[in-house]
Amino acid sequence: MSGRAPAALLPFVVLVYIGLLAPLVVVVAISFGPSEAFEFPPRGFTLHWFSEFFASKSFVDSFFRVSLMVGVLAAVLATLLGTAAAVALVRFRFFGREALETFFLLPLLVPEILLGAALYLLYARLSVQASIWTLLWGHLVICTPYVIRSVTAGLIGMDPRLEEAAMSLGATRLQAFFRVSLPLLRSSLLSGAIFAFIISFSDINLALFLSGPESTSLPVHLFSQIQWQGDPTIAAASSLQIVIIGTLILVVQRIFRLRLMV
Amino acid sequence: MSERYELEISGLVKRYSPQVTVGPISFDVRPGEFFSLLGPSGCGKTTTLRCIAGFESLSEGSIRLAGERLDDKPPHRRDVGLVFQNYALFPHLSVFDNIAFGLRLRRVAKPEMRERVALALRLVELAGLGERFPAQLSGGQQQRVAIARSLVLEPQILMFDEPLSNLDLKLRIQMRDELRSLQRRLGKTSIYVTHDQTEALALSDRIAVLSHGHIEQIGTPAEIYEKPATAFVAEFIGSSNLFPARIVGYATPGTIVETEAGMRLCCAGNGEAANGEQRGIAVLLRPERVQVHAPGNGAAGPNRFPGRIAEVIYLGEDLHLGLELDCGQRLRAALKNANAARGFAAMQPVEIVVDPGDIRILSR
Amino acid sequence: MSIQATSASLAAEPRPTYGAKARPVWALLASPYALFLLVLLIVPFANVAFFSVHSYSPTKILLPELTFDNYRKLFDLYYLRLFGRTLRLGLITTVVCVLLGYPLAYFLARARPRVLAIGLFLLIMPLMVSTVIRVFGWIVILGRKGLVNQALVGLGLEPVKLLYTETAVVIGLVNIFLPFMVLPLMASIERIPPSLEEAAQNLGATWHQTFARVILPLSVPGLISGCLLVYSISISAFVTPALLGNSRERMAAQQIYDEVLVSFNWPSASSLALALVALTLVLMFWALFATRRAGRRERAA
Repeated sequence: MSGRAPAALLPFVVLVYIGLLAPLVVVVAISFGPSEAFEFPPRGFTLHWFSEFFASKSFVDSFFRVSLMVGVLAAVLATLLGTAAAVALVRFRFFGREALETFFLLPLLVPEILLGAALYLLYARLSVQASIWTLLWGHLVICTPYVIRSVTAGLIGMDPRLEEAAMSLGATRLQAFFRVSLPLLRSSLLSGAIFAFIISFSDINLALFLSGPESTSLPVHLFSQIQWQGDPTIAAASSLQIVIIGTLILVVQRIFRLRLMV
Repeated sequence: MSERYELEISGLVKRYSPQVTVGPISFDVRPGEFFSLLGPSGCGKTTTLRCIAGFESLSEGSIRLAGERLDDKPPHRRDVGLVFQNYALFPHLSVFDNIAFGLRLRRVAKPEMRERVALALRLVELAGLGERFPAQLSGGQQQRVAIARSLVLEPQILMFDEPLSNLDLKLRIQMRDELRSLQRRLGKTSIYVTHDQTEALALSDRIAVLSHGHIEQIGTPAEIYEKPATAFVAEFIGSSNLFPARIVGYATPGTIVETEAGMRLCCAGNGEAANGEQRGIAVLLRPERVQVHAPGNGAAGPNRFPGRIAEVIYLGEDLHLGLELDCGQRLRAALKNANAARGFAAMQPVEIVVDPGDIRILSR
Repeated sequence: MSIQATSASLAAEPRPTYGAKARPVWALLASPYALFLLVLLIVPFANVAFFSVHSYSPTKILLPELTFDNYRKLFDLYYLRLFGRTLRLGLITTVVCVLLGYPLAYFLARARPRVLAIGLFLLIMPLMVSTVIRVFGWIVILGRKGLVNQALVGLGLEPVKLLYTETAVVIGLVNIFLPFMVLPLMASIERIPPSLEEAAQNLGATWHQTFARVILPLSVPGLISGCLLVYSISISAFVTPALLGNSRERMAAQQIYDEVLVSFNWPSASSLALALVALTLVLMFWALFATRRAGRRERAA
């Protein structure tokens, strides 16, 4: 660090970070505490609420059958859609390219809650029932831009002459892409996919509108539990989500530029 | 005693880690002197500069400016001007505001400020460009603004951190000459950090050659070039023929040394630079001092060797000859591409003559 | 969500290998997602616009006549108060984010790589955890028996009602959206060479003078980006005010949720939603534009 920043900077920064992380710390702590009222600091240590979580059908369903599954599907499909879109945007030059790119990243600019409401109204008008699929389509809208951003960055950082070299050695364009570019894009693809999963897994704004009785995602279930004064099973479910997401972010940070994704 | 020196660096040590230490470094700079810190990257010259400017703290040692302790002051209260390598001009301020930056901080009155800035602009030959912004200036112009910005505050000493390294060759030479005449005109004590030995030789009153965090030698350009104290200095400054050798005897007019290849040279002086070493020494022979003649034409002297030209390197203005002596020793000669030298060709037999005064003995 | 990254990818040079050929391969690649967006982004909002110009009826949801009543209603006292509150809370959130976020951004911009990595992780990780969970944590902290009140009681003071107030909402919003202020600001400060700070000090400036005269002016693009970003997502926040605030002092998104899922007054919800989307898009594009202009000016330098 150059210059002499005021000595108060570091303590202030630490305080802000403590404030940022406090809610997460509190939630994790409560999940291990014995009291049924959300008590912090907890007075004991127990795994009771975690066993409650796994015993509760509604929690387990929302976690595994809905959130996890939709998340994985969203990750896979968003990666397919987004990679194709990114290749089109980066490797080709055509009229309206910049406009198309803005269009593709539009979901990032629209408030999610409003997108959720709009999708709900559309489904209602078309008499489409809420299901895992309606949730999945909604998630794809907000997840794909992250894949596009990640793969775009990877493609731009890659020398296009590598593909040209492969073609000069006899490969068709398609072969060149699959054998040369795609492996080099591995880290971008992986980061994009992981981020798509994270966005889908933690989404609440869309899910509030798009969840149905059989397709309640974990965050929505948590939301209603909090509103109706549930017990620390909420905290246990939350802790599990925090651990999963934290681990995935660490993985992304290892293999890719974290800053680019947000 | 401290009135004689403008800047005194005494035992400066900067420890970055147990393995990476700069110093101890000590040198003194006289008022009005142009003093260069010269060395390859990582030698500690920039660290020393930053210590003087206050951006690094000393682990040990002291810095005194006009007798007063400098290293206990924060950087914004040291009366030293620093011209940065990338100029560090404020992009959001005009040339005028850049130069006036320090004056504004000191609450100088507007009329005086305008006068001083105008004067500074004239000094660096940028009069009338006050309203431009750094982005609109060329590299050379930006550098002059950087100099003016420091000069306008009339600091006690002015420091330069490799200021010419971002310029292309022709511009570099032009700016170098302008810098020298500016410094001579103002008589401002200046410290100049560079890795370019030509620059250091051309600009400086005295040079400190650094390597691996230590000073190898301090001297005038002539002293550094003609009488390098160590093999490092000999190789860093100018090109050289540097051979490991041993002393084999003493005779008038000087010392007899023999290189590993078996070439026997008579050197002027009693070889005191060897520090008593008999075997682990090196001999330095500047290529431009190697006299190359057609066989039989060489002047008389103790150092005459037959040999032949191994290769001719044509450099336009200069000719570099790779020579191989009959005894097996290889060395280089540098000649001007004129007169007899123009006829030299590879494989040609020649006679090499070296004046004893042109040979220097160094410890290895 | 970063304007920075969006703008960066938009300004990046394409590296075409294939060029625009007779057979538009790019269209083949781009169309799946383009169609997808068309159906699931454009059409829904077109539908919302459609709803917004119809009348509400408790029995039929929509009556066939077209009307601008729903937009006129937005100027009723109730809605004006709603907008006023939403915009006000958004503004307070943004200001607090600047005050808390700027030091953080400067710290990270000048931090060593390892410190930066940790700092970024701690900043981004909470962002990715579901908002519900973070807000849940605040409910516990701000509750009657929560951390804050425990501390106050421990100091001999009276416990304070924090939960379900506007204060709690602002605290929650600041907490959730602070990273969106820090990241663009940090990117902006990073682009200021440390040598500029050193030059200012060398010319006699204390750190505070350096900050005011050099760093702050040069960080304005990132500051604007961050403010617009935080502001636009704050005004459309739902989960935080829904769980930390109360129903009487609600924000716009809560009203929309209510009108869609509780009272089924879809036309009214639509007009409100469109107004909010329009406002948000204007702010976002302004931020995007400002970032791109700053990037262009820097490249010219």
